[in-house]
Amino acid sequence: MIVITFLIKEGFKSLIRSKYAGAFAILVIWIALIIVGLGFITARDALVTVNDIKTQFDIDIFLKKTSTPLEIKDLATTLTRMREIEEVEFISIDKAANIFEEEFGEDIFEILDYNPLPPSFTISLNRLYRNPTSVESIISKLRNEEIIDEIKYRKKFLLLLEKYQQTVLIVIVFIFLFLTLMSVLLISHSIKMTIFSRREIINTLKLIGATNNFIRSPFIIEGLLQGFIASCLASITIFLISYIQNNYLQPIFNYQIIIGYSYYISMIIFGSFMGFIGSIKAIRRFLA
Amino acid sequence: MISFNNVSCTFSNKGGIKNTNFIINEGDFVFITGHSGAGKTTILRLIYMDLFPEIGEVTIRNYSSKKIKQKEIPHLRRKVGMLFQDFRLFPDRNVYQNVAISLYAAHYDLHDVKNKTFNMLEQLGIKNKWHHKPNELSGGEQQRVALARALIINPMVLLADEPTGNLDPKASIELLNLLYEINQNGTAVIMATHDYSLIKRIPEYRLLQVSDSKMVSIT
Ligand SMILES: Nc1ncnc2c1ncn2[C@@H]1O[C@H](COP(=O)(O)OP(=O)(O)O)[C@@H](O)[C@H]1O
Ligand SMILES: [Mg+2]
Repeated sequence: MIVITFLIKEGFKSLIRSKYAGAFAILVIWIALIIVGLGFITARDALVTVNDIKTQFDIDIFLKKTSTPLEIKDLATTLTRMREIEEVEFISIDKAANIFEEEFGEDIFEILDYNPLPPSFTISLNRLYRNPTSVESIISKLRNEEIIDEIKYRKKFLLLLEKYQQTVLIVIVFIFLFLTLMSVLLISHSIKMTIFSRREIINTLKLIGATNNFIRSPFIIEGLLQGFIASCLASITIFLISYIQNNYLQPIFNYQIIIGYSYYISMIIFGSFMGFIGSIKAIRRFLA
Repeated sequence: MISFNNVSCTFSNKGGIKNTNFIINEGDFVFITGHSGAGKTTILRLIYMDLFPEIGEVTIRNYSSKKIKQKEIPHLRRKVGMLFQDFRLFPDRNVYQNVAISLYAAHYDLHDVKNKTFNMLEQLGIKNKWHHKPNELSGGEQQRVALARALIINPMVLLADEPTGNLDPKASIELLNLLYEINQNGTAVIMATHDYSLIKRIPEYRLLQVSDSKMVSIT
């Protein structure tokens, strides 16, 4: 335990001693994490806002005119039981006629003498399933229902949305991977420099009976600290940005940034983890 | 305690040490003498297993050069204290830290690090310099810090590779007196030197002479 405390202190000292190399790595990772962090929020909000346009995902299920009330009831039960579905609305032929009249201003009986409109269900989806893939999967599940005549949904819109979401996702993932890799390499490079500048000291430590773990630990702690400090700084920065936006800039950009604690915690864990990986990478090359 | 059994360890330039046999016992004071390049440092490096013989076997207590695992080397080194001509202190640490780190690195009994360290510094007459960095000390003082660092973990043998090489005559004699005192307390000392005038400072010693990579004699 005393040794662990000692090694942690050594890690801190080592970071302080590394001066510019360490500070530079922290600065760059700080900026990278701000980009990644804000990118994440933008992506989240961009993807989710669209998903919030609830009715865009509604599916209309038209039934055969021959379907019996019992069959309709059965289907209604099936639909309500599906976890993808939030709300099921039955539109009887009378109701359909009412809707027709509301929309077109004419009574269907006056035109046709009988009601040609089929009964139907309008289902709206749970928030989590408001995406093109889920819509397709729901439809395929309903395909073998006997009494369904036709299923209508906004196919074109969904395809467009899917493309848009994919593009956003790919760009985000790409930026994310690039910045992560860059951060890990930077930490690794800074630790390599530290190891290189301290190679004589490392040799002396070996001579006085230090184990490899004893020699390595401060470098691992140094890398971990770089990631930790950078991610704390990035968290604070993002918090300030969201605070300023929500409290002062709201009238200009009508947009509320909502960030939970878990977001900051994840960022700090992620940053520290990058530091850890970076220093492990350096050590594997130089302190084998 | 230490035995060389038909040990050969040579470098590409044919330097090193060949067909060497000797035994060093607990509490011995051994001088290794020979001209520069004769193989003195090679013998010491074989003892702390920084080098391994091509032929033969080096054993230190129950550690054998043939069987020792990489992981066990730190444990061996904790039994073997070392002094060098260039001191090899940690330049960015003060005297106190230079000595205390040895306790941490050796996972030695970490109870009362402060007291132990200051006691050791006091014994070697450098307590009042505890907060100085090595470059603020004289050569003699630096070598005593190195000695404190080696002794604080109670090694069974102290290896000294031309420890007086950077010291003036007065400091050299002082160091030898210290080494003698340490030896009197039971720690074996093996010191490589080519300064014969220092040898007679020790009343009772053994002499291992090397020349051109060969052991010429041992008393
Ligand atoms: N790492 C090495 N690589 C090549 N040759 C070496 C190495 N270390 C020592 N030697 C050679 O081995 C010989 C003996 O060296 P050493 O044991 O250091 O001598 P001494 O300490 O008696 O002056 C010298 O000729 C030296 O050049
Ligand atoms: Mg030598």
